[in-house]
Amino acid sequence: MRKKLLTTVAAVSALALSLTGCSGSGGGGDDKSDGGDVTITMVESLTNPARTELLKGMLSEFETENPGIKVQLISPPTEQADQKIQQMLQSGSGVDVLEVRDLTVGPFSNNTWLYDMSGDLKSWEGLDKLTDQAKTVAVGEDGKSYYVPYGFYGLSLFYRTDMVKEAGFDGAPKSWDDLITQAAKIQDPTKNKYGYAFRGGKNSAGQVLSILQAYNADNLDVTNAYKVTSGKTIFSTPESQTAIDRYIDLFKTGSPESSVSWGYSEMVQAFTNGSTAFLLQDPEVIAVVNDSTLTADQWGVAPNPVGPTGKAAWPMATAGWGVAEASKHKPEAVKLVQWLSGDISTKFAKENSLVPILKSAGEDEFFKTGPWAAYVEMTSQPETWISVTEPRDVAWWTEWMQKSETDLQQVLLGKMSTADMLKSWDTFWTEKWNG
Amino acid sequence: MSASTDEVAERGRTHEAPPPRRRQFTKRTSLTILAYLTPAFIFVIIFTYYPLVVGGQMAFRKWSLYDLTSTPFIGLENFTTLIANPLFSKVMLNSLVWVVASLVVQFLIGFMLALGLRKKFRFRGVYQAMIFYPWAVSGFLIGILFRWMFNSEFGVFNDMLMRTGVSAKPIPWLANPDLALVAVIVANVWYGVAFFAIMILAALQSVPHELHEAAAIDGAGRWRTLTRVTIPTIRTTLVLTVLLRVIWIFNFPDIIYGMTGGGPGNQTQIATTWMIQFTQQGDYGLASALGFIVMGVLVVFTGVYLTLLTRERKP
Repeated sequence: MRKKLLTTVAAVSALALSLTGCSGSGGGGDDKSDGGDVTITMVESLTNPARTELLKGMLSEFETENPGIKVQLISPPTEQADQKIQQMLQSGSGVDVLEVRDLTVGPFSNNTWLYDMSGDLKSWEGLDKLTDQAKTVAVGEDGKSYYVPYGFYGLSLFYRTDMVKEAGFDGAPKSWDDLITQAAKIQDPTKNKYGYAFRGGKNSAGQVLSILQAYNADNLDVTNAYKVTSGKTIFSTPESQTAIDRYIDLFKTGSPESSVSWGYSEMVQAFTNGSTAFLLQDPEVIAVVNDSTLTADQWGVAPNPVGPTGKAAWPMATAGWGVAEASKHKPEAVKLVQWLSGDISTKFAKENSLVPILKSAGEDEFFKTGPWAAYVEMTSQPETWISVTEPRDVAWWTEWMQKSETDLQQVLLGKMSTADMLKSWDTFWTEKWNG
Repeated sequence: MSASTDEVAERGRTHEAPPPRRRQFTKRTSLTILAYLTPAFIFVIIFTYYPLVVGGQMAFRKWSLYDLTSTPFIGLENFTTLIANPLFSKVMLNSLVWVVASLVVQFLIGFMLALGLRKKFRFRGVYQAMIFYPWAVSGFLIGILFRWMFNSEFGVFNDMLMRTGVSAKPIPWLANPDLALVAVIVANVWYGVAFFAIMILAALQSVPHELHEAAAIDGAGRWRTLTRVTIPTIRTTLVLTVLLRVIWIFNFPDIIYGMTGGGPGNQTQIATTWMIQFTQQGDYGLASALGFIVMGVLVVFTGVYLTLLTRERKP
């Protein structure tokens, strides 16, 4: 009898286990909860605790304004978030609204995981309230709308007002030449004082392209800032050769030797702890510097340094909110995306240090003063700081970032010439574009 | 655990095992056994072999995350692409240096710590806990911590070297192509010493005290006792721990990924960090092919290692 019982228990566990293994689809926020409410699931990607709290507050406001819709927020750790989102999209369930980045929109839309909101946005009054830049992202060149941006990240020059003054300069560098001169003058390794927080490590291409685009500003293809108007790559021009040599000068004369391997955290740390005078970074660093030991009169933000012709490009990275193709509650999901892209988006931009998406934000005192003034200056002078688009949605973007990082490090270590590096980059992009 | 392994091995050498008796199962008993085994089988198939087969077939396909609507079969192209890559030989060489250097130093320090901890002394438990602690920390976290400790301008290592006058200026540990590999190996040694210390200590504690007494009576000194009595007795544990560590270190990208990401200029790129790069590019085909190569290398190593050691043991 005992044996029979044990056999039955084992057989039942086997069956249960196999059923568990076979299940796994379904689930997610696609059910109606008690009381007839629709529950939609939203997943964020660039997660951090403060931002998650802010989002939760915003979502509860949305729920109050829209009775009958509940939102469940999922916040995976940033490093794994995009992979988690991809798995959720691939499984076809568990996500309604998601954070889409300019880096992920390509693969997500190619695999038909994203819902095209163009039909819904046509009748949306909020579309005309967006800045031109935001509108260009919200409605792509092909007329499709896979996401509405919530803000933009663009480089600007953080500088130490006190160190610049001590070195005998009137103010922040305006051009790359100024920056190289000032950084070299400030640099004094014996006192642990350095000019520029050079980025030689992960994602170093952003800063490299900044100087290349400034030197090629007169001939830049604004729709694809990796090309010049002749149709060739930006890496093929003589201006780029001059620019990259100047950039290596900046490393040799005005940056710490160890910055060959510096990524985001080392650069920002070097600026906030007072050892370097200049930092070319995104606006989210404003919040970090505000929380550091630096006092408000010790630092400032200047516009992107210009090239020899007095111009610079201003490429922007972005992310926003999109809807999953597999969502069973598309109307509610679109409603949430439109709401997040409305007036509340300015609050989100302020608290996350982002360039806002609404035209009305330009009138906001917050963005007109202090560190944000540089951004207003750049947006108000589009002929000097040319708004350009970079091909960040191409399939080989990560491969490019890894290649450019390795090649730049080889140059900094003296194992490759700048000419060979540019030639290799030119070949890489030309071959990729030619398929 | 290692003690019982040794004892069993010892018994196997000294006694003739009785001939196995064939036991007949009734149909009912067979069904019972099968029912008990089924959950384990299903579990292993779902969570080990199914992902292995699905992941494995990617190695023979063009499997790019960017476009999953078309994943055609391309034979061995992913493998030939990898081998033709100029980085391939460098990555394999780096992997070899990474494994051998980490393993040898970890083993020696771990062995010495285990010998030191074998005898009872005051606060031995506290010392043991302190030595075993790194094993409980995530490899990626260790990588990040050491990245800051090796930081040229604000790192604790340079601070100590400069304060003690060993170095007059900061050493760019992670930016120097020759020093970066040394730095990641130092971090790995710190992490891996604990494993050897734990395993060897357990084995040492199982060595019968009488053996040491007998050696002392025969006039053997400390070194002779160690090499002729202690090490041969714990040989099985040593062989297995070294084998396990080779496999784990080869498959362990966490510290390098956290510290250097394979840089500067691929100087610390090993097979598994390179694999991560392919997955980040969305090219799961190449990543999977590299996974096969890594598995192949380890299977060949394990086969050769165990064959050599078994042959050595035969009289």
